[in-house]
Amino acid sequence: MPGEAKPDFSKWHGMDRATIQWGPVIDESKCVGCGLCVIQCSEKRNVFGYDEEKRKAVVLNPENCMVGCNNCQVACLWDAISFPDVSGVKSLAKELVDSGKSKEELEGRLKKNPNLRLQLPPRFFKRASLEIVRPSRTVRILP
Amino acid sequence: MSKTWHGADRANYIWYPKIDYSKCTGCGLCLLSCGNDVFRWSDQKGVPVVANPGSCVMGCTTCAKLCPEDAISFPDDPKNFLKQVIIKEKVFFAVKKELKDRLDKYPDHRVSIEDVEAWKKAEKGDANARRS
Repeated sequence: MPGEAKPDFSKWHGMDRATIQWGPVIDESKCVGCGLCVIQCSEKRNVFGYDEEKRKAVVLNPENCMVGCNNCQVACLWDAISFPDVSGVKSLAKELVDSGKSKEELEGRLKKNPNLRLQLPPRFFKRASLEIVRPSRTVRILP
Repeated sequence: MSKTWHGADRANYIWYPKIDYSKCTGCGLCLLSCGNDVFRWSDQKGVPVVANPGSCVMGCTTCAKLCPEDAISFPDDPKNFLKQVIIKEKVFFAVKKELKDRLDKYPDHRVSIEDVEAWKKAEKGDANARRS
């Protein structure tokens, strides 16, 4: 967009994005050109291009792909998109936690945006996992 | 206005992460990685909380994939979940229009496969030339 700064995806939590193996690969023989992957990818990342003549999606900006996201692959009815195994990304995530980097970033985020903090009644944590029965609405759990 | 997924009303579907607090160590990666503001943070316990489940992108399991403790779960089989939505809601009418809108807005994404392959080859060549 003119006048709008291009978002910078060159780093992932301080790591060089180019060194991280994560992004879609399209099997053109399976792609029917429905275009769902193209728009499934967020506008700001916009990983895909599209060949209107051949009716095929094309991976244009793989380095913009969000690490850990495979929403395009999940949506593809024709199984035409593949991703690297998730174990590589998982071990990078472990590194972020072990090095204290995630904690540091989290504190920064909470400081910058105090609205992210919630006060919850103690009974909330009695259940091992939380079920919210009204997923359609923003559930505000405030004191 | 309620959220839609390529024309389908998001409110008709149940899709959001569940945190198993017996496994969660409070690293915060899920909150940091979510681009849709699904999580909040509880200071008392030092753990994330699913506060905006309706904002979760249907079919997305990024937080669960990154969670080092595998403490986050989603409804089984995201692919089949989306398949049912796609078929039931006949989303391809909306998809066709959204695709056109996206390509109109970002005309450099209207490409030919041959061109893209040629660019990629040239880029690789450049990188090799720089290395040698």
